[in-house]
Amino acid sequence: MQFLQHFCDVLYQSSFGTMLRESNNAFSVIESVHVLSIALLVGTIAILDLRMLGLILRSVSVSSLARGVLPLSWTGFAVSVASGFLLFWAEAAKMYVNPSFRAKLVLLALAGFNALVFHTTIYRRAREWETLEVCPWRARVTAIASLAIWSAVIIAGRAIAYF
Amino acid sequence: MSLHGWFIALARSPLGHAMQTSRWGFAVVEMVHLLGLALLGGSVLIVDLRLLGVILKGESAIAIGRGVSRLLLCSLTVMVLSGIALLSEEAGKCYYSPAFRCKMALLAAAIAFYFTLHRQALLRVQSGTPTLWPRIAAVVSLLLWLGVGVAGRAIGLL
Repeated sequence: MQFLQHFCDVLYQSSFGTMLRESNNAFSVIESVHVLSIALLVGTIAILDLRMLGLILRSVSVSSLARGVLPLSWTGFAVSVASGFLLFWAEAAKMYVNPSFRAKLVLLALAGFNALVFHTTIYRRAREWETLEVCPWRARVTAIASLAIWSAVIIAGRAIAYF
Repeated sequence: MSLHGWFIALARSPLGHAMQTSRWGFAVVEMVHLLGLALLGGSVLIVDLRLLGVILKGESAIAIGRGVSRLLLCSLTVMVLSGIALLSEEAGKCYYSPAFRCKMALLAAAIAFYFTLHRQALLRVQSGTPTLWPRIAAVVSLLLWLGVGVAGRAIGLL
């Protein structure tokens, strides 16, 4: 862990990190981009999750919705990771000890694991169930897990500022 | 009572008092507001990108619009209610904030647009007339909602 702490200190003290931290507008602008890209990421994933639960868009097949929606989710993911890394860079030494930040990273790993499980197992056989109005229980479980984990990511992310 | 009077009354209401004094009240309501934002943003995007012809071209636009409308309105309700609670924390200050005024104007425009011209555009795509109007409607809608978000973020900064 000493290496991680050292890495965070180096980022924090770098001239770019200091510039971001002390800037008037850059930090706020990056923060706004971060929030909007998370809305893009989580909002589009939630659409797919709610469809699998049979709550919205029942007439649309899951795989055609996924084809439309997942590129948007990946775009949101890329932008939020990039903007998030800049925010982290500015505050790295504080983030290292921030419990909310740590929780957010763990939750992100969980979200990734949940998506990986879904795409490598249940979604492989999507052809068998994609047009059902309510999807099989395995798909519904990953959908509920996804909604819960991503909500927790947003909550933990917002809480970072309060520690 | 004047509009300013209503804002002061909101700040002095039990809700305002609770938001001003509780340790975690504001933070928790802010989180709810953000969760609503993600859902609202997702539903607006899906409908407008379909209207633009970018995604889900195989599905009918009106079916997408109708399928998502309940989620859109539910998340909008959550955002308005949590927004009123956030406003009550410093309503007197928000009344004079240019960012807040701008946000309310954009929000009113976005909602009015959604229920009128935007709906008409969805119907027109359904009937298959290849016109420019649905695309313009999609872009206007995206810009209005984006403007609401950006102005909202600015409330805390200006």
